[in-house]
Amino acid sequence: MIQLFNIGKIYQNGAPALHDINLKIPSGDFVYITGSSGAGKSTLLRLLYCAQKPSRGQILMGGRNTTRLNSRNIALLRRDIGFIFQDFKLLNARTVFENVALPLQVKAASHREISTRVYQVLQYVGLEYKLQRKPLELSGGEQQRVAIARALVVNPRLLMADEPTGNLDHELAVEIMQMFTRINESGTTVIVATHDKEMLQRFPRRTIMLHDGNIISDSAPPPTDSNTESL
Amino acid sequence: MERLRYFIQRTLFSMRQSPLLCSATIGTVAIALMLLAFFTLIVFNVQNLTREWSRDIQVIVYLDQVPSENKLQLWTEEIMQYPDVERVHYVTQQQAFERFHERLGQNADLLEGLLPEILPAALEISLAESARSREGTERLIGLLKSNKDFHDFRYGQEWLDRYDASIFLLRLTGTMAGGFLIFATLFIISNTIKLTIYARRDELEIMGLIGATPMFIKAPFMAEGACQGIIGACLALGGCHLLYYFFLKKGLAALLTTAAAQNIHFLPLAYQGGIIALGLLLGFIGSLLPLRKFVRI
Repeated sequence: MIQLFNIGKIYQNGAPALHDINLKIPSGDFVYITGSSGAGKSTLLRLLYCAQKPSRGQILMGGRNTTRLNSRNIALLRRDIGFIFQDFKLLNARTVFENVALPLQVKAASHREISTRVYQVLQYVGLEYKLQRKPLELSGGEQQRVAIARALVVNPRLLMADEPTGNLDHELAVEIMQMFTRINESGTTVIVATHDKEMLQRFPRRTIMLHDGNIISDSAPPPTDSNTESL
Repeated sequence: MERLRYFIQRTLFSMRQSPLLCSATIGTVAIALMLLAFFTLIVFNVQNLTREWSRDIQVIVYLDQVPSENKLQLWTEEIMQYPDVERVHYVTQQQAFERFHERLGQNADLLEGLLPEILPAALEISLAESARSREGTERLIGLLKSNKDFHDFRYGQEWLDRYDASIFLLRLTGTMAGGFLIFATLFIISNTIKLTIYARRDELEIMGLIGATPMFIKAPFMAEGACQGIIGACLALGGCHLLYYFFLKKGLAALLTTAAAQNIHFLPLAYQGGIIALGLLLGFIGSLLPLRKFVRI
């Protein structure tokens, strides 16, 4: 369960990004955060990921107040979260295998566990035959899948994605969203920040709409067809 | 164990991965430390030279009468008990006369017809190395004066003053130049490593975002800095040895006497170990300082 109480964020230059956000996201939920550019979607995700601290308010994740964690505990918290960045944030000097293995190395997993798990997750995203390639040798869609594999490799309890389909063509975007649906069905909480209206319609879920740093709507998905995609 | 293996692999891999940056850092460390090592080499040899000079610092007590063997034994034991005394040597009248004869060289015939008894017997007292200064000499004379048989002392006051002044100047110059060199070395190395870390700031950021603790991120970089420091220091010692061989050993040998050239030595093992340890430390600290700025979770 993620709870946000009266969250506000003002950047150092004085620009307000979020105002008085109150929110509850139960475990296992699938939530879209949407809104136009500059609405505060990415800021909200960065606060949830502890990449920034709120100017005011409290964030509880699994009963822990993340606004009061020190850097070591933030690092430990992040090991249970998978994050897919808009710009992928892959290490271009390392291979696909090494990029995906990184979160496991951070957790001091054994060599054998790393090999097995990385291969499994690359198979899941369909890139097992490219594990020795470097990210710059891959297409945008493939890089996105490497980023997803890196987020999934630790079996996260929470998966967050910032504009995951923003740089992809339509077919690939559908494929990625199907993958998120499958991950959510396995019990992982998924939060996706997007302004891709077509995906919101095609894969309807709870949608939180932001505008100028305020929540202007928080709508549950339509009750038809039990939230599955309609292809 | 897995973590240690990861750190070692990362350190070696990072050095192989960016050979240009790695070479630039090692080269900077090597040049900076070579200057420092060569400066240390010069200071070390100048210190050796002054130590040689200081052997001439001694207090001579001229004796009014030739002492009996018992008395001489007593005096020697008494003087050897004083602090800072290294050796006591009794010079008989005959020995003094022979030395004087030798010093006169071609004019030695002036002494014809004279007997050795015209010169007094003397005690030559050598000081321990730590007391070879005007202060040490005066302290010893103060103690010797407590014996009423000793009242005529010679210790080359003017020479001692000049020696003290030159040692002070050498130490001051050495400390200032050495301090400046160490500071400049740290500054240069730290900035070079800062540039290499800046070039890899994305890696630092991504590591933090996927849950690495600050220490996990920093450790391979610090190990890399320390390795580069050690390699740079070894190269610096090699370069310094070449400078020593061609400029000091071969070059100065042509200008100085053979004996003086033979007294020029390369840095002893302890100093070489010190330079390598300094390289390790500079590489380590040089990495740590910029990492503190770039690694923010």
